Amino acid sequence: MITFTAVTKQFPDGTVAVDELTLDLPEGKITVFVGPSGCGKTTSLRMINRMVEPTSGQVLVQGRDVMTQDPAELRRGIGYVIQAAGLLPHRTVVDNIATVPYLLGWDKRRARSTALELLERVGLPAAYAKRYPSQLSGGQQQRVGVARALAADPPIMLMDEPFSAVDPVVRAQLQAEFLRLQQDLGKTIAFVTHDIDEAVKLGDLVAVFRQGGHLAQVDTPEQLLAAPANDFVADFVGRDRGIRRLGFRLADTLPVQPVGAPRDSEWVLDLDDLGRPRGWSRRGETASMQSGGGTFTTGDSLRTVLDLTLTSPAGVAVRVDQDGVADGTVDHAAIAAHIQGDTVRVDR
Amino acid sequence: MLQYLSTSGPAVLSALGQHVVLALLPVLIGLAIALPVGYLAHRFRWLYPPLLSLSSVLYAVPSLALFVVLPVILGTQILDPLNIVVALSVYTVALLVRTVIDGLASVPTAVTAAATAVGFRPLGLLLRVELPIAVPVILAGLRVATVSNVSLVSVGALLGVGGLGALFTDGLQRNYLAPIITGIVLSVLLALVLDTAIVGVQRVLTPWSRVGSR
Repeated sequence: MITFTAVTKQFPDGTVAVDELTLDLPEGKITVFVGPSGCGKTTSLRMINRMVEPTSGQVLVQGRDVMTQDPAELRRGIGYVIQAAGLLPHRTVVDNIATVPYLLGWDKRRARSTALELLERVGLPAAYAKRYPSQLSGGQQQRVGVARALAADPPIMLMDEPFSAVDPVVRAQLQAEFLRLQQDLGKTIAFVTHDIDEAVKLGDLVAVFRQGGHLAQVDTPEQLLAAPANDFVADFVGRDRGIRRLGFRLADTLPVQPVGAPRDSEWVLDLDDLGRPRGWSRRGETASMQSGGGTFTTGDSLRTVLDLTLTSPAGVAVRVDQDGVADGTVDHAAIAAHIQGDTVRVDR
Repeated sequence: MLQYLSTSGPAVLSALGQHVVLALLPVLIGLAIALPVGYLAHRFRWLYPPLLSLSSVLYAVPSLALFVVLPVILGTQILDPLNIVVALSVYTVALLVRTVIDGLASVPTAVTAAATAVGFRPLGLLLRVELPIAVPVILAGLRVATVSNVSLVSVGALLGVGGLGALFTDGLQRNYLAPIITGIVLSVLLALVLDTAIVGVQRVLTPWSRVGSR
């Protein structure tokens, strides 16, 4: 879908921003470009829609060299989302979303109705259509930015640190919604971030760049955490990569104890009439399920379950079925044994 | 006063009409010249310093001197209203070139970069993104130029063409206050009306600049 072949970008001042980059971005997947500042990740992204032109090498988009295409036409076929949204301040939200359809010469009514659908799709009320960007919060502007990128339904989207200008709570929300949206849409996405956690959370494939525009490693997030190719990557992904890697392992094969099994703790699990956990109690003391520990399902990650055991007063996480009925418990020791038994893959 | 107005009404009205034309025509001509010149200076940065110096120098030329010198340069009669129009156009250009450059510079680079990245071509970018966003700054300059032209037209009266300015020379020569007062009141009113009209145009063109940001 998008292919870099020996692409080098040298700026007029002699700086080599990207050095002999060869990389394939798989169709329908999110490929994250991550690395410290000055590593060439943004320059690489901007070479896909010809905002930056390669000094040598070739960038192919859908099989065609970008340098042989009209830049404006090329860009209209590629969705683009940037940090701080980059909306047009003099146009209303609906007209901002319809920017590319207008440029493509769509009938105005069709462009607007598409824009209104997308407004809803990115989770903004229809009443926002007539507002101007300055009347929206940063997070809302970013949603409009995503809607604008989707308006002409391009097969490819470029996202340049789209969520880094919003606060952490909003960022987590936007990330979750973005993943949900991508599940429906299956776009080929190139996503730039400097945040390794975001890269690991969002990427199907993560390309780690290092200073000087070199590619340090391209791998799935789990493999990146399990087997960093070199010290730079190991250092960049961080020291707690072992714990973070648990985020990719589901709790579906984790063995549990029956709910009523005797345990080495004074805390007793309170269940309601239907068998749903209410909280923990010990000699008149109580802790609600929210404040102490919590429940998980087989769809949650081992990292989540481990965290639950650490915050539960009894040192135990409670598994529930789809009706919320408790059907098993697990403690840290059981999780540790489970991880130990599961051979760690270091197959490179 | 009333007697003056009743006898000289038609003359006053024609002076007012001439004043409007002499003040506004240069604004339109000046804007038409300043827009492309300002755009060039915005696009090619090296043009910016010389253009700015040139416009400052032009603006510093005394108006009366310009009114007198222009006929020699243009080959026109000293009483030709064209002299006034050309002179005031020069001032308007001098004022507006800077305004247009500032206006285009007021467009955030993030906005132009994003607009380019979604597929605007240079001309579309200028007409549909940069100029609309620059409108508040450009119109602010246009208000200054318009009001200043309204007052400068009167200077032309010393040469015999000056719209309402003719009322001042007339009153002074005859030692008669009524035409002077009429001229002053009408000049001020004219400036006010034109200024308000531009503000009105701006309100229509830039609804986005008035919304409260959160």
